[in-house]
Amino acid sequence: MAEYKLLLKHSDDPATQTLAGYKKAGGYSGLAKALKMERQAVIDEVKTSGLRGRGGAGFPSWIKWNGLPKEKVKPHYVLCNADEGEPGTFKDKMLMETAPFQLIEGMTIAGFAVQGDVGYIYIRGEFIDAAKALRKAIDEAYANNLLGKNILGTDFSYDLHIHLGAGSYECGEESALMSSLMGERGMPRLKFPHAPLPTVSGVWERPTLINNVESYSCVPHIIDKGGEWYATLGASTKNSRGTKIFSVSGHVNKPGNYEIEFGTPLKELLEMAGGVKGGKLKACIPGGSSMPVIKPDAVDVAIIGYEEMGEVKSMVGSGGCMFFNEHTDIVMLAWRTAHFYANESCGKCTPCREGTRWMVQIMDRIVAGNGQKGDMELLTEVANNVEGRSFCALGDAAAWPIKAFIRQFPEEFEYWIEHGKSPVTSKEALALVP
Amino acid sequence: MAAATDIQTVNIIVNGIELAVPKGELVVEAVKRLGLEIPIFCYHPRLKPVGMCRMCLVETGMKNPQDGTIRMMPKPAAACTLPVSEGLVINTESDALKKDRKGVLEFLLINHPLDCPICDRGGECPLQNNTLFYGPATSRFIEQKRHNVKAYPLSDYVTLDLERCIQCARCIRFTEEISGDSQLAFRFRGNKTHPITFNETKFTSKFSGNVIEICPVGALTNRKYRFRARPWDLQTSEAVCLNCSNGCNIWFDHRAGKVVRINARTNEAINEEWTCDKGKFGHDYYNDEKRLETPFARTGDELQKADYATVYAKLLEAFHGDNTGMILGDSLSNETYITAQNFFTGQLGSHNIDYRFSANQAKGASTVDNSIASLELAKTTLVFGTHLADDLPIVFLRVRKGWFNQGTQVILATDRSDEVSEFAAHTLVYKPGTEATIAKAFAGQVSVADAAAKCGISEPELQAAITAAAGATVITTTSLNHEAAEVLKALDGNFNAYPTGANERGAQLALACDGLSALEQLKKAANGELSALWVVGVDLFSVGLPREEVIRALENVDFLAVQDSRRTETFYYASVALPMTLPAEQDGSYTNCEGTTQQMKAIIPPVGQAKPAWRVFEELSIRVNPRMPFSQASEILASAPAFA
Repeated sequence: MAEYKLLLKHSDDPATQTLAGYKKAGGYSGLAKALKMERQAVIDEVKTSGLRGRGGAGFPSWIKWNGLPKEKVKPHYVLCNADEGEPGTFKDKMLMETAPFQLIEGMTIAGFAVQGDVGYIYIRGEFIDAAKALRKAIDEAYANNLLGKNILGTDFSYDLHIHLGAGSYECGEESALMSSLMGERGMPRLKFPHAPLPTVSGVWERPTLINNVESYSCVPHIIDKGGEWYATLGASTKNSRGTKIFSVSGHVNKPGNYEIEFGTPLKELLEMAGGVKGGKLKACIPGGSSMPVIKPDAVDVAIIGYEEMGEVKSMVGSGGCMFFNEHTDIVMLAWRTAHFYANESCGKCTPCREGTRWMVQIMDRIVAGNGQKGDMELLTEVANNVEGRSFCALGDAAAWPIKAFIRQFPEEFEYWIEHGKSPVTSKEALALVP
Repeated sequence: MAAATDIQTVNIIVNGIELAVPKGELVVEAVKRLGLEIPIFCYHPRLKPVGMCRMCLVETGMKNPQDGTIRMMPKPAAACTLPVSEGLVINTESDALKKDRKGVLEFLLINHPLDCPICDRGGECPLQNNTLFYGPATSRFIEQKRHNVKAYPLSDYVTLDLERCIQCARCIRFTEEISGDSQLAFRFRGNKTHPITFNETKFTSKFSGNVIEICPVGALTNRKYRFRARPWDLQTSEAVCLNCSNGCNIWFDHRAGKVVRINARTNEAINEEWTCDKGKFGHDYYNDEKRLETPFARTGDELQKADYATVYAKLLEAFHGDNTGMILGDSLSNETYITAQNFFTGQLGSHNIDYRFSANQAKGASTVDNSIASLELAKTTLVFGTHLADDLPIVFLRVRKGWFNQGTQVILATDRSDEVSEFAAHTLVYKPGTEATIAKAFAGQVSVADAAAKCGISEPELQAAITAAAGATVITTTSLNHEAAEVLKALDGNFNAYPTGANERGAQLALACDGLSALEQLKKAANGELSALWVVGVDLFSVGLPREEVIRALENVDFLAVQDSRRTETFYYASVALPMTLPAEQDGSYTNCEGTTQQMKAIIPPVGQAKPAWRVFEELSIRVNPRMPFSQASEILASAPAFA
């Protein structure tokens, strides 16, 4: 299989970043079609498509859409999670910069389907270019009656706003994003079954739909070409439909965003990206830095799909696919990863706040040459105490990679602990050692 | 309130035991019905649950209603945030949970300084207790502990130790949800997260002392108590706070006969489990170096130590008939008021006995329709002419609780904005002295336009507030302008003019006040027309009267008797003086603003030769007219029909 460009079809064509160009390329036919449909029919179409959340969790999108009250009492909000912060993932950035109208159209269709009144795009603070592109596109959409009052002459009115984050990974967690959007501290909130679902009581305690940029961007295509057609993509997999954009980075010859159909072997993704650069493949993190690392033998057999990746003990995640060549020091990689999560922990719950720092301290000691016997077991134990015990998934995200690095590459940790130096002696690797 | 049968219950299974509990109850509360206890840190029954500390993790599952099979969840869940639902299965004890609890405690302890031997909380610390029951015995942590600010003075009363802090946010949530001043917040993130005031400004909450008590570690400590005792060295006794009329229940912690600290004692009907800072930190007067320890009698220009017999003789010589007066403070015991009335009017024959210093207070006595606890259920509340957080702090917390929990609509009419305006739907700030006009506007007796112009309020604002206040529960104090009080009393809703003196209500019940008022007595004294004046438990220089008037009265009265616990300014004008015990040094009862009479037993020994005022009155009384005197405070209360 090769690349299948659906969302990124016109990413090379700056003309589609204007309304005229986007329409010429077939844009806004989805919205026009949706506005003529029953609201429930739009949701059913999304159900038929089998679309699953592209932010990382892979939750069936239609269940969220269907969860908002049909009898509207309070205003409904539609949120777009554009706080793309997972290390190794940069697909949403590209989608917003090169296809802003696709996202706006998707969110407008979603707003129509769930009787939304206002939409917010919560953009990662560093994504200035994406925010600028969206600002321009939103202004143009307003000027052309594609947003605002009585869209396209119907009685559907819908506003769309941009909100820039202030630099926190945690705010990509949907409940923390809502806290942040409301002007509160970027900390996660209680979730079901401890509190109502966002679809019942989300932002400002109003029914709220929240999806990822890529999920919303799929919607115009699903409505335009039909859910059944969309479901034919990735039909070879167990339960993953459509396309997925992978941000391929690391030691590859052609890093970048690659859109593929579900069911594509991971190996082919590596080939699309020009193969491994500077040596043999040593490891791959297929779905963003919080996903467990896998070894080349697993890369050879892995099929991209939400369930299929589980067979090699990893996950699709957000699609931040990182390949590492033989000069990579896995312990240093683990050290960097641990630092990232300790830095981004919001501090709300005990396991994540204390556990991530402890893991960093142990890793710091190991890479400073002061590792001790038992450190690997201790790291795993600490990670176990964080995993599943934390308030939100950030704790899991911090624990999984550390556990996987130790499980997959115990010999490297043992070497570091025993010798106080890296087992990888190539120049490329040594350059990383502090 | 709903009848018991109306409460919806759900069936849950806790550790294999089936039970029915009210729907929506939190798991951490529901398991208490079986006598089980789940360890907690951040959870507090009076604060909204947040699920931060992860100490209360339990195993959860669901029972399938069809086939009865139980499916357990892969991850443990926080019991403090999980509401019960039909078929919920809870396990509170298992090997996995033991490990989880050990894990959480290990995390909490790795950066905790473990300076328990010098920590005020040591000995009564939830972190110590939970560690003892659930924690690891040793640490696997060999890295550098996180260092942070220690002994940071947040205010004159509260010290913050950030190394001991476990980031449970109880203090932050208290200031957000209960006191409403929101002065504390988290700063920074990740492992640097810590609570602090905004911009490190002074923590000026009027309820700051409560955060010390709800802190589950020694991060927030009491500056007045810091390093003064270990908890196990203290004796603690039930007491009632007499610093205002709310009558908060307190724990009176004392050591070697001296008060060391005050903590809140739970009483759902009055203070729940809170105190105000005046109550928590304002008990220094027990240890005042100016305590009066012996009787005094004047010889020429000098006050000299004397014995009771001498002073009694002088008193009985000076006081008889209607040309003498007695002025009492408003925080004395009911027994004092009862015996004072019996003795002064019954035995000495003077009706000039009074406790009130403001003209308004003298005209209208307190009227109470609402108990403190019932205030939180009011639909609409009109707070009129009082600064609740200062005058009646616990009533303030109830009014705010009503607004926070039930959405009580609060209307404030006062001469400056205060803490109530933070949550009031309407705030009317009137010109001082225009209370009666604005009250009449509420009653429709003057036009809104006229009232608005006179009181300096915009007309639409006043109109909106008046409309909103229909049928409101009125809260004010006895010192409100009498005319305004009468108008408000006649309105449709409940009317509460709460007394502000600690036992003003008791004085009102016990004293007839049918002679000269306190102000009239002082005026007469100033003109040299009063032969003797007896001042009990009040410093005339601190009741808001002009100094010159007080001096003139005290200088021109022939004979001045002062009975007080300390050498007040009034004391220095005395002809004779008698030492008086303070509430914790005597048996007595006190009636709070809502009319609840609370007993208090003697806790610490009296200072020097100090006696309860009622005992002095009894001893004098039998000298006038021999009979069997009252020997116990309880006999006196039982003898008074007003307190039946």
